[in-house]
Amino acid sequence: MKLLYGTVLSLLLSAPASWADTEITYQFWGSPQEVEAWNAVARSFEAEHPGIKVNVEASDWDSYWEKLKVKMAGGTPPDVFAMDAPLYKDWQSRGVLLNLQPYIDKEKGILDGVYPITLKAYETPEGYFGLPRDFQTIVLHYNKDMFDAAGVAYPTDSWTWDDLRATAAKLTLDKNGDGKTDQWGFWAEAYDMEPLWGALVWAFGGDVVDPPAGKTLISSPEATAAFQFLSDMWLTDKSLPTQLQLQQYGTDGFYAGIAAMGVSGHWTVPDYSPLAFKWDIAPMPKGPAGRATSVNSAGFVIAKGSKHPDEAWAFAKYAFGEKGQTELAKIGLAIPVRQAIAEGPAYLQQTTKIDHSLFVKALDYAKPKPVFKGYEEWSSAVGDALTMIWSGEMEVADGLAEAVANGDDVLARNK
Amino acid sequence: MGRAMTRMRRNDWAAFLALCLGAVAMFGPFVWLLSTSLKPMAEQFDMRLLPQQPTLGNYTRLFEIMPFHLLIWNSLKISLISTLGQLLTCSMAAFMFAIVRFPGRNILFALLLVTLMVPAQVTAIPQFIIFKTIGLYGTQAPLYIPSFLGGAFGTFLMRQYFRTIPLELAEAARMDGASLARIFFTIYLPLAKPALAAFAIIAFMVSWNDLFSALIYLPSDVDKTTLTVGLALFQQQYSGHWTLMMAASIISMAPVVIAFFMAQKQFVAGMAMTGFK
Amino acid sequence: MGSLRPMGSERWWVLAFLLPTLAGLLLASFGSILATLALSFTDWDLLTSPVSAGLSNYADLPSDRLFMKALWNTLAFAALYVPMTVVLSMLIAMGLNRPIAGIGWFRVMFFLPAVCSPTATGLLWQWIYAPDSGVLNAGLSLVGADSVNWLGPRMALYSVVIVNVWGAIGSGMIIFLAGLQAIPKEFYEVTRLDGATAWQRLRFVTLPALAPSIFFQSVLTTINAFQAFDYIFVLTRSGNGNSTMPTLVFSIYRNGFRFFRMGDAAAQAIVLTAMILLLTLIYFRIEKKWGEQ
Repeated sequence: MKLLYGTVLSLLLSAPASWADTEITYQFWGSPQEVEAWNAVARSFEAEHPGIKVNVEASDWDSYWEKLKVKMAGGTPPDVFAMDAPLYKDWQSRGVLLNLQPYIDKEKGILDGVYPITLKAYETPEGYFGLPRDFQTIVLHYNKDMFDAAGVAYPTDSWTWDDLRATAAKLTLDKNGDGKTDQWGFWAEAYDMEPLWGALVWAFGGDVVDPPAGKTLISSPEATAAFQFLSDMWLTDKSLPTQLQLQQYGTDGFYAGIAAMGVSGHWTVPDYSPLAFKWDIAPMPKGPAGRATSVNSAGFVIAKGSKHPDEAWAFAKYAFGEKGQTELAKIGLAIPVRQAIAEGPAYLQQTTKIDHSLFVKALDYAKPKPVFKGYEEWSSAVGDALTMIWSGEMEVADGLAEAVANGDDVLARNK
Repeated sequence: MGRAMTRMRRNDWAAFLALCLGAVAMFGPFVWLLSTSLKPMAEQFDMRLLPQQPTLGNYTRLFEIMPFHLLIWNSLKISLISTLGQLLTCSMAAFMFAIVRFPGRNILFALLLVTLMVPAQVTAIPQFIIFKTIGLYGTQAPLYIPSFLGGAFGTFLMRQYFRTIPLELAEAARMDGASLARIFFTIYLPLAKPALAAFAIIAFMVSWNDLFSALIYLPSDVDKTTLTVGLALFQQQYSGHWTLMMAASIISMAPVVIAFFMAQKQFVAGMAMTGFK
Repeated sequence: MGSLRPMGSERWWVLAFLLPTLAGLLLASFGSILATLALSFTDWDLLTSPVSAGLSNYADLPSDRLFMKALWNTLAFAALYVPMTVVLSMLIAMGLNRPIAGIGWFRVMFFLPAVCSPTATGLLWQWIYAPDSGVLNAGLSLVGADSVNWLGPRMALYSVVIVNVWGAIGSGMIIFLAGLQAIPKEFYEVTRLDGATAWQRLRFVTLPALAPSIFFQSVLTTINAFQAFDYIFVLTRSGNGNSTMPTLVFSIYRNGFRFFRMGDAAAQAIVLTAMILLLTLIYFRIEKKWGEQ
């Protein structure tokens, strides 16, 4: 019917044949390389769904959210767009996302074989307003060349955080003898709870936040011990570069080749892959309360204001389905949400020769990054205070007290 | 330094020396910029000023990563149109503000200045809604149309300059029956060449470096957007690649530097002249 | 300052010349400003309709710690940045306004920092200020002095001001150059015959003639000081759009575009605007007084 309508119209208006195409926009944050990969997914989708054309649009992370908010406020949202799970509630609770439950109900078994922990983030009492696209767990990365040069044994499965601390201290060196450190044992991004400090707090037996109760929990004795541990590594051992020291080399200390170890998710694999030094991965070390890491997913959502919700759903479904997930696995940036693919050759046999299954096995001890309304503001309130601990401007206890006070303000505001 | 400056008229060599010192402070970082852009990746932490194995590889790689020539073309087109619009409409309004008395002049001028003071991040959304309502979203028009609607910076700048031109010139022309438009185009604009040149460069630069509107109004396909958007994407991705980044900076600033070099002659154009100047 | 009174058909010319500006004021700018003012009395998350909030956004400002910190930083920044930028760019323009060999190249060198994207040159300055491998600390260790933590909590303000002044001198310089061109040569020739000293020429010819440019540059630099963002962001960024030395624009940007609090952002923008407006009025007063002298 649609086709006929289109044909008639195009004859009447003598417009090009593509007139009948419904155009939808898929917007996400990512690099030009990712755009290429997504364009490939879009083309194969279009081949299966004649009459729908997908415009793929990408921006860098910061610009993405600005652009999205302005477009939303202006009433021209993209049809399908990418969502970071912790921020999902900020959008979903404001009623701008389409409820996908009616579509999901019509597709028997569409959620089968999807890792439940990734689905959980998008669940609401009214159903799903989004579906996971891919997920990330955090593992330990280490620079084999630096370990070999120092004659230090590689990290193992049974490592504790104390082992990591001792090794990091050994690998912190002044190689050219000018009196200044030029190789550090460890580096991690420590503003947001992912990748490092959330996992550390959990491994020390603490917890991070309880949104329904409006409580930020990082000043408990267990969590304080975790922060004290990291602060000691940073300020006493000096086995992590300070923010200002790091800036000399870029934004990622492991990538820059100045840190022997780092923690990050699968997103760094394509970047790390062509590095000049040999590197490998290991599971996160164990803490007093066992091993922990964080799991977080990116997902698809559809704007409630989309003029083509059916076509948008068709595209989201395709990318969420086996074919789409297989193609995405090849990009190598993330882990597919479908078990069959994450445990199959498309994901496990990527060009970068590391044990990709470690990321999937991490699910056994991973805790989900929290998802609640106001996450971004909360994370900033806490991160701003923690920054003062890492720079030595504030004692651990004082910094945590400030983080909790500011964090709880945000939680109260976003009730 | 200040003392040397004030006596420069007799001691040009003193001025020259002072300028040389200043130039080192101002220009020094760019020598480093240029030299880093010519270094191979392996040398990026080499603190020696001259590249040991100079290469243009960073530049060629840039164009492989992104169609920079398309981005430059888009930016150039938008910036040139914007500059033209600004020069014309701002100097027209500035002329009236400077030499004609009309009701509400001061209030209007004050309102105009206020528009400069509100941060762009906040006015972006109301402006977006206006452009969307008139159907220009997704085109390049929102990037240059505002330039044809005057602007506080240019109007203010030109008004200040026009006020230094003796009013007697306009009065005399008026006695001879010249219209205001004629006085503007034949007397004021030609006399204001130095200010126009300065304004043109700044207007060009502002449009050239505008990231926010390009980001919001244009689709982000790399062939439709501007250089600033491309650079932002690029910088996020290649954060540790100093050599590549510095090459990208050189490319992004080259057009403005060329424009400046061509326009700066206007700043001394008057010096050789006698008479009014 | 005298001005013409339009007669007859001249009124139409006045209207025609002002038409684009009036349209711009009405449509883009003034509409946006009124909208901002209106939004400052609401809670708006950008995604759903604004909800009236009365004066609460303003009342909450004093207890907003990020805002108060940003306000203080902004004032301290402006107090250093404005006089330095205006004076230095004027001195440089005077130096460059003469027929010295290679003057065109000199001008380009002084102007270059202004044209470069702050993201790129900001990174360059990071390197200059770098704690271990930075040029500045390398120089200090050569003379046996201790390293300075240039972008650390104590020095960050001054280090950031220097980079911002460096980046602003170019634009200021060309405005003063244009202003210097407006000074009739005869003025200097007359004073020369009178045997005036260089200082007297500066005091009684150059400075009064440059008054409109000084005034313009002071107003513009003040506005820029209160809206400074790019260099500060690159040099002192911490996480999620924040800085270790946040200025008001950081607070506005984060509230509006990160935290779904456009109403608060609008209120802060209005406060910022009011402050700049007040300063501008003071400048206008001074200009008027100066003009009367």
